[in-house]
Order: sequence, then C-alpha cells, then structure tokens
Amino acid sequence: MNGKIVVEHLTKTFKKGNVQAVKDVSFEVEEGEFFAFLGPNGAGKSTTVQILTTLINATSGKAEVAGHDVIREPEKVRRYIGVALQETGVDPDLTGREMIELQANIFGFRKEEGKKRAQELLEIVQLTEAAERRIGNYSGGMRRRLDLALTLVNEPKILFLDEPTTGLDPSNRMAIWEELRRLNEEVGTTIFLTTQYLEEADSLAHRISIINDGEIVATGTPKELKAQIGNDLITLTLKNEKQQSEAVEYLRGQMAGVDVINRQNKVLIYVEEGTKQLLEVVRLFDQEGYEIEDIQLSSPTLDDIFLKITSEKKEGVRAVGE
Amino acid sequence: MGNNLWKDTWLMTVRNIKTTLRNPFSFIPNLIISAFFLLVYEGGLSGISQLPTFEGANYLAFILPVSIVSAAIGGAGGAGQSIVKDIENGFFSRLLLTPASRLAIVLGPIIAGMLQLVVQTLLIIGIAFLLGLEVVTGFGGILFVLLIAVGWGLAFAGYSAGVALRTGNAQAAQAGTFIFFPLIFLSTTFVPYELIEAQWLKIAATINPTTYIFESMRTALIDGWVFWDLMQGVFAIVIVCTITITFAAISAKKAVSRG
Repeated sequence: MNGKIVVEHLTKTFKKGNVQAVKDVSFEVEEGEFFAFLGPNGAGKSTTVQILTTLINATSGKAEVAGHDVIREPEKVRRYIGVALQETGVDPDLTGREMIELQANIFGFRKEEGKKRAQELLEIVQLTEAAERRIGNYSGGMRRRLDLALTLVNEPKILFLDEPTTGLDPSNRMAIWEELRRLNEEVGTTIFLTTQYLEEADSLAHRISIINDGEIVATGTPKELKAQIGNDLITLTLKNEKQQSEAVEYLRGQMAGVDVINRQNKVLIYVEEGTKQLLEVVRLFDQEGYEIEDIQLSSPTLDDIFLKITSEKKEGVRAVGE
Repeated sequence: MGNNLWKDTWLMTVRNIKTTLRNPFSFIPNLIISAFFLLVYEGGLSGISQLPTFEGANYLAFILPVSIVSAAIGGAGGAGQSIVKDIENGFFSRLLLTPASRLAIVLGPIIAGMLQLVVQTLLIIGIAFLLGLEVVTGFGGILFVLLIAVGWGLAFAGYSAGVALRTGNAQAAQAGTFIFFPLIFLSTTFVPYELIEAQWLKIAATINPTTYIFESMRTALIDGWVFWDLMQGVFAIVIVCTITITFAAISAKKAVSRG
C-alpha cells in the first residue's frame, strides 16, 4: 500500500449515447502530492474520479490507487481512500455525530473508537455545536464540511475531491481550502482534486492537469503552465466587432511566433515583451484602420492558459475539418 | 479483506430503523388506513356475515386479513422508500465508496422494512382483539397469520426495493406502490368468492395471489387447521417471492455494479 495514483491509457465509453467521456488518459500522482484536474463541465473529471474510486469500471486501460488495481481489488482500494463526490452523501435524518460514527463503524472502528474519532473530526470541521442536530437542518456549507469529515474517517492515504467547493460561499470555501492544505502538508495525504476554478487549482495544487473533452491537454506546475504561454498577455477589444476576425488574421500574419486568439469580443495576444509588443500592435492596427476600443497588458492567469489551450485545440480540430 | 456481512447488515438495519422512527409520517398513514379498514368494514359490513355463505363466521375475522395485508404491504414498501431516499441523497453512493458489504447495503432497508411490517401487523391484530376477535386456532393460528403476513410482505418488499434500485427516483417508486390497490381490492376482499357477482372480478380474484393469502389467513382464523387450505397462501408466497426477490437481486446487482 502506498499513497500513489498510477493511471495508464484510461478510457471510458458510456454505452448510452456512445459518449467517450475519458479518452486514453495517463498520469501519475506521487505520494503526498496535491494534484488538480482542471477542466470545464463535462470534460471527464467526474468520470475519472468515479473510475479511480471504484464506483464505475473503465472501458479500457489501467489504474492503480494506493498500490491496488481499481478493477481487480476494489475492496482494498476503498479501505485507503476518502472520497467527496460533487453531491454530498449524507442521511438527512441522522445527526452529524451519528453520521460520522456510522461511517467509522463501517470502516471497522469499535464503538468507543468511533465516538472518539467522530469528536475529533467534528472539531476539525468545526461542527461540534451542530453535532446533535439532524443533518436535514444543516446549511449547504455545513453539509459540505460534514461530508469532508466523512471522507477523513478512515485516515485515508489518498483523498479524492470532486469539485469540493462548487456552490460554496467564500468563507466556507476558504475553510475547506485550509483544511485540505493542512491535510496535505501536516498529515501527508495525497490529494486528487477536480475543479473548474482556476484560482483553486493555482492556489492549492503542486501540479495541474488540464482536461478538456476527455483528454489531458496540458500538465505541469502552475508556474510551468504559466511559463508555457509566454510572459505577458495583451487583451484588446475593437470598436467595430465585425472587423475582429479579419484583424486577428492580419495580426497573425504580421507578428510571427506570437499566439493570437480570437475569443468572443476579445483578442488575446500572448507575447514575450509586453510593452514593446503592445506598441507594435497599436501601430499595426492603426495602420490598417482597426480602431481599438480598449487595450490592456497583464500577466497571464491560469484562466488565460486554460482558454488558450482549449481554443488552440478547437481551432486545431476546425483546421482538420476544413 | 472484505467486511463482515453480519456486522454491516446490523449497522445498516439499525440505521434504517432509526431513520424510520424519526419519520413517523412514513408509517402512520398506512397504519391508520389499515386500522380504518378494520373498523369501518367491520362496522359497516358485518351484517352480511348473516348470509348462509358465511356459515356463521365472524365478519371481524373475515375482514382482518385485508387489514393485515394492507399493513404488511405498507410496511414492506418502506424498504423501497428508504432505498430511494438514500439514492436521492447521495448516501447510497457514499456507502458504495466504503468497504461495506454490497449485500448489506441492500439488505439493511429490507430487514428494517420487514420489522416495521411485523410491528404493524401485531398492532392491527391487537386492535382486532380489542374489537372482540376470536381465533379458532388460538396462539398458533395468530403466529401462522403473522408468518403469512411476513412472507407476503417480503414478496412486496422485493418488488418495492427492485423498483427503487432500478429507478432511483421517488416518483417512480411511489407510482410503483399503486399496485397496492388492485392487489387488495381485486380479490375476495369483502365477501367470499361465491358471493362475487361480476365475472371480471372473479377472474381477477383468481389471478390475484392476494386471494390465496386472504384465504389461507381466514382458514387459520375461522376454519381451523385445514392443511391444504392453509398451504395455498404458502404456495402463493413462494411463487411471488421467487419472482420479486429475483427482480430485486438483479436490480441490486445493477445498482451496485460498476458497468
């Protein structure tokens, strides 16, 4: 048993509608690593989590979690992992304390041990005051925290969290972030987190894989991903939106080796030397008579990286189709 | 490796009993309806037992099985309701993510539903005694009636758990319980078979396995230990249980499988 995740050529096709939700995905997560799967809705994040946590079988490929094969030894995998799915999994008719005690007993804690564990966890997720109340009366944030406590009952080696902060207010989100950081840093728990929030992945994870349309499109540390796309980002809008595609093509022709992305009403330009190239863009547009409504220079965020990578992919697909 | 089936089943059952007791409205209406059947039909229809076809039988003893079957079906239906609730709350998935025995996860609510059924049946029989019920076969007969109720309840629990596991949806499971009405009323509910007028109802009563449950309970309550008359209920239970438990098992396997 170890705290690693090893995934090789994982593929999942749902018979219903013949949807390929995960396409030949491979990655490794080291023991003690905080790893994030970043992607939009429907990218295949949850499906991957469900396969790795033994809820569904892969169509093909191999996955080892905590040193055990998820398909051949699901019982062993379940012992060493903690899982918080997108939807919390609690019984509204039990109290918070009863819920944790039940989970502890299922994991083989004796009665007294289970009580002790419940008390510890209630303190960690700050639910001691609400412990005797039925979960049906909990707020969304409290349910989330309780759900997190449930995933920790068996002191998991690896924690899987599928969008754990979706729908939470900022203070609850911060509380969860802090607890995850503590678990990772102090306890050494390996964490596999999926999220649509770029700042979440950026702030928590050691390493990020960006998944889109069932495929991993980029992997690296937040720093590496940011470096991958140049140092600066110019964002501009044109006065006349109708000119935009034409202007983008023009710019691509004029500025070799610079990434220009056409997105809705904005043009994104990834450059090496921001100020110098900003001036060049203004000059070029001025020459051709494209009037600029607004122009900004910034360092790229993960958000920008994400947009760049996914739009590159889309454009690539389009090019093949044409 | 592997968890202890008995321990897990115990944990699941206790938890289901707890949550049932915390939702009194999940069983009180059915209990009231069943007691209401007993009181109203006894009060309003007991005169017809003067008819020669009844051979002097007490109408209370004749109508009691209807009330018992109604209570039993309601109690057993609780199994399906608990499962649907767990699926909707995501708690079912949470359980599947633990090393808990897959069988225990499904058995817990079914056992709790059966216990609910036993309690409800005993309450109904208690009310019948308060109304002056006399049973020719004595304590043994009451025990037999209870066993038939449990068996018939199990058949219905299999059906309701199967529907719940298959649909995972409260409305569908609720719709599934509508089978309650034809089961109870398209039968020898109020009068013996010979007194049913409509031909279609006679056919329905012959097909409806509940008829054999009623008849076998009535044999124990009114006629005495007439072996083959008693056994018709047992046969009905065995046949229907085989079908519904198989249906539940297949649905359960699908619900916990990872395909």
